[in-house]
Amino acid sequence: MSKNKTNHSFFKIIFISTTILFTSLLSACASPLPDGAKSYQMINSWGGNGDASGEFDEPTGIALSKDEIFVSDARNARIQVFDYNGNFKREFGNKGTKSEKLGRPMNLAIHKQALYVADYFNDQIKIYSLAGKHLRNIGSSGDKEGEFNAPAGVDVATNGDLIVADFYNQRIQQLKAEGNFIRQWGTTGKTGIWSGRFNYPTDVAIDDNNRLFVADGFNDRIQAFDSQGEYSDKWGGLFGLNTSGSKPGWFTTVSAIKIGPDSNIYVADFYNDRVQIFDREGNLLNIINVAPSELQHSAIAMAVANDGSLFIVNHGKHEIQHWRK
Amino acid sequence: MKKTPVISLLGFSLLGLWANLALAAGTQYNMRVDGLACPFCAYGIEKGFVKTEGVKSVDIDLKNGLVIVKTEDGITFTEKQLKRIINDTGFTMKSMTESPL
Repeated sequence: MSKNKTNHSFFKIIFISTTILFTSLLSACASPLPDGAKSYQMINSWGGNGDASGEFDEPTGIALSKDEIFVSDARNARIQVFDYNGNFKREFGNKGTKSEKLGRPMNLAIHKQALYVADYFNDQIKIYSLAGKHLRNIGSSGDKEGEFNAPAGVDVATNGDLIVADFYNQRIQQLKAEGNFIRQWGTTGKTGIWSGRFNYPTDVAIDDNNRLFVADGFNDRIQAFDSQGEYSDKWGGLFGLNTSGSKPGWFTTVSAIKIGPDSNIYVADFYNDRVQIFDREGNLLNIINVAPSELQHSAIAMAVANDGSLFIVNHGKHEIQHWRK
Repeated sequence: MKKTPVISLLGFSLLGLWANLALAAGTQYNMRVDGLACPFCAYGIEKGFVKTEGVKSVDIDLKNGLVIVKTEDGITFTEKQLKRIINDTGFTMKSMTESPL
């Protein structure tokens, strides 16, 4: 065999081997749906674009009490409250003093009959009673401990500690109920792809055992930290290292995360217009595809009712959708 | 009676009034920025401008990928200033147009 033919064969073998290896890696990092995963159907929706009661202008967040739905109506700078059938009940956050009023509400959490609102414009966590009475604010603008720069998500631990996705500060903060700093994850002001670093984190969820899950927005992944706060796991894309995509189990901009009553992890995969459901080890359980509008993506946040049904915030269509298996 | 000085006086007065009105009006800047489909991103840009003195309003035109800023009367910004505000929010201004309000 001539030297040229030998070289040609050699490079052909290298090319084929590399292709097989790469394809295998990609396949290994995708998570097929488990057999028997039941599909979800939309059973109700309400809203539409506007500022009247029951209408929304870019809804961004949602939380459930046992019989009411709380929605961040972002550009209308208010919280709207509905029953589980979508009937409007009340609104708040858009009246009163500067301290009481919302700027741009994002992800929400409910803890012990109080609503916690990540207020992106005012750099605070604003806390209201479920009836709508303003209770207090936590935080102020900045990058020091206890300060925020565009908080995007919040959750509350069983002991009352606040966990905040501090979006532009590229970190997660843990604060006492009164706002005193306890600790943070991430390097303030610096993005990163390695474990424990973030790239615009959008939301957090903490379980009853203090296991923390972070929607690591533009790293297109979920990160998990154990009950001591130590990094434990990450998933999404190739090895969870900032690889976006639409394969099952991959993400393109995660915008919200919730722990369901079934202890599963629900994730809004915004640019992929879907909600993905995982077990606590990151194994994919189900996918709900949510139709976007012409201009905007759809599933920006979701909340899970005790009966397992899902309320999904369709950002582009300015509506709330109720889905059931 | 000499009409010319009266007409000239009226003309100059009108010219002065028009000049004052033109100078007092604000300016609209249309800036092309990628990534506005993500509300977390778009809101960050809005927030950056809302905090800037002299800005009257900020709007996002998703269809055309534009950030539209209108200023208070008499306020103008340089391209460098606008680029810096957008860069500070983590984005890049691709292009810009300017027109009086």
